[in-house]
Amino acid sequence: MAKREEFDVCVIGTGAGGGVMIQELTAAGFRVVALQRGPYLKPADFDDDELRTIIRDQVFSADQVETYRYDENSPTETGRFNYMANCVGGTMTHWAAWSWRFRPDDFRVLSAEGPVAGASLADWPISYEEMEPFYERAEWDFGVSGDAAANPFGAPRKKAYPNPPHPPRRASELLAKGMRKLGHHPFPTPLAINSRPYAGRPECAYGGACLGYGCPIHAKATTLSVCIPKALATGKLDLRPNAMAREVTLGRDGRARSVRYLDDAGTEHEVFARHVVVAGNAVGTPHLLLMSTSGSFPRGLANSSGLVGRNLTLHHIAAVGFTADGPTRSYAGAHSHVACDDFHPSDARRGFIRGGVIAESNSAVNQPLSFGLVSFLGYPAKRGWGAELKQYLRGFPRAVALAAVLEDLPMESNRIDLDVYVKDRYGLPAPRITHRQHPNDFAMNRWYTRQMMDIADAAGAQEKWDAVFYSLPEERSAMKGFMHFHGTCRMGDDPSKSVVDRWCRSHDVKNLWVVDGSVFPTAGGYNPTLTILANAYRVADHFVREAKRQNV
Amino acid sequence: MSESISRRELFVQGAFYGGSLWAFVNLPRPRAARAAEQSAERLVFDEAQWKTVEAVTARIIPTDHEPGAVEANCVNFIDKTLAHEDAALKPFYLAGLAGLDAVARKRFEKPFVELKPAQQDEVLAALESGNADGWPIPQIPSAQFFEAMRAHTVIGFLADPKYGGNRGYAGWKVMGYPGGGHHLGGYSPGQLLGTEKIETAWGEEV
Repeated sequence: MAKREEFDVCVIGTGAGGGVMIQELTAAGFRVVALQRGPYLKPADFDDDELRTIIRDQVFSADQVETYRYDENSPTETGRFNYMANCVGGTMTHWAAWSWRFRPDDFRVLSAEGPVAGASLADWPISYEEMEPFYERAEWDFGVSGDAAANPFGAPRKKAYPNPPHPPRRASELLAKGMRKLGHHPFPTPLAINSRPYAGRPECAYGGACLGYGCPIHAKATTLSVCIPKALATGKLDLRPNAMAREVTLGRDGRARSVRYLDDAGTEHEVFARHVVVAGNAVGTPHLLLMSTSGSFPRGLANSSGLVGRNLTLHHIAAVGFTADGPTRSYAGAHSHVACDDFHPSDARRGFIRGGVIAESNSAVNQPLSFGLVSFLGYPAKRGWGAELKQYLRGFPRAVALAAVLEDLPMESNRIDLDVYVKDRYGLPAPRITHRQHPNDFAMNRWYTRQMMDIADAAGAQEKWDAVFYSLPEERSAMKGFMHFHGTCRMGDDPSKSVVDRWCRSHDVKNLWVVDGSVFPTAGGYNPTLTILANAYRVADHFVREAKRQNV
Repeated sequence: MSESISRRELFVQGAFYGGSLWAFVNLPRPRAARAAEQSAERLVFDEAQWKTVEAVTARIIPTDHEPGAVEANCVNFIDKTLAHEDAALKPFYLAGLAGLDAVARKRFEKPFVELKPAQQDEVLAALESGNADGWPIPQIPSAQFFEAMRAHTVIGFLADPKYGGNRGYAGWKVMGYPGGGHHLGGYSPGQLLGTEKIETAWGEEV
């Protein structure tokens, strides 16, 4: 019998966390096997077909299924609530590329705010200062464009962005003018999209279909376009697409021993590795760990704390749309060209703590179906049909939209677990999302909506509309899902209060690592991807250093 | 009105992400669904059903000084999507169409296609409200059926013509959308600002 092949590291998931780990570990000479649910798509597979990509969702996640319930006493509904992409490159493949650094206080929310009733606030075990060099590394590897000097409220930094900002479109000029009129400080949204040829990838063509789409020319930086090619070139990567991990097995020595996965035909395979990195997103990661039960871990692998899947955060969004008096070109360009971050510092006098960032967000006004179906849902017309609908459609060339990405407070009862009644196409239990909002979220959303309605007016809005998230009955206002998921495998120093340590290594299983948004103790009021990338560089740096000393 | 609340609730997440949170996103679709070829051949509807659906679409996006759903051939889009990608909806649709006529007959003693536009609007508004006198199918809320037809009409009007609607780019012309930016080769800084014109997919300038 042939000797069993054993890799140095098995990485599950190739998105922001897994992709960087793969890049860094193969560069350091480790032999890595990477498992990814879904296909290995190429630029030629991507276009701006809105019906196929967005409305029918046939490109990225055709088979995904989850269930959602408001709380333990509510019925579940079956659907798709987590907008992840199941393909090599993970959800980054269709991201909007907003690339923020968290602010220093985002890493110590419990210390900064004190305990809050109903919320499970926590400090991160790491500081902004520890993250700073790795933020810089991520910005330079992924070619972030921006103008750091234009944002007086950004986190302190040592180095400028590697690329200049993108040119504005008319909509972003109007917004910047409106923001300035109100005394705010608009600046170009930092984007991991090439504003000039960079790192072997071309500059953006400004085709207008960005968030939710794959980039047909790889001007958008993703782990698919940045990390995977580098890793493959080392000859050290065994990339296995169409591989759905179903169990991490435990050896007699208490260490992770192998990963069992199902291929597209449902056939099971097993791969052995000395280390296992789980990077399946904050839904997929706890889903896998909870399915990996054993005598030592009857409640799921690495779950002695009982916290695997708990403290789920997923941001909440406030959104405003309006029409201007002339063409705005919202259908051309990147997803967002202008932002303002004047409101981020926590201020209890506003009636809530924490905050978020406001930015132009064209996804509901850039393409005809999103405008006709989605943006309309917030439009205050009397009727969604007839002359009123047609009149609304004619406003498309003059449309502008902006959104606030807002920090939700963690609650232990918000969680991912396994739905024993609903199975996915592999016959595995579907992930079940239990999620409701903390009262702080409603107050914050209402306040930010007001700021954005004021910006719309200052920008010359003819007609404007908002999402009225906050005015619905509480149970109807709960976010059932989103693109940003975090918190379900918290990192921390205390093994009874966290799942992984400061190096994102399981407290329970010493060769098991979690490197994705799951480890975020709190959500931050920014899109999470740059922080997931930076954290992965930090963990990889530690891993490589310790491995050389034979410490891992 | 509960219908409008649920619409606006979807907007919260949809406004950021785009369209994928609308009513039928969770339909089981064939994995290798094929796009409908543009074709006048009826695949799902019989002649009477075709005319009824066409009459409904005419009220959802009416023709005024510019083309509406009829000129855009939205009924053809709906026929093709029910034959392929949305085949799971076919029984629901055919039952709903019978229900629509039942409501029309109860109220005006004529099938839907024979009613005057204002009467047709009355029937559709009754379906939308969920309180349609004479609606014969308790298992299917009439509002849900109305929303399916409404959304399908909007998609037929605005989706790429290769899917069988948006004939002659009628929907994009009404809306002022030049066509997919990737296909048009992207945009220059002047086009982003609106200081330079954009040539549309059908060869005009906007």
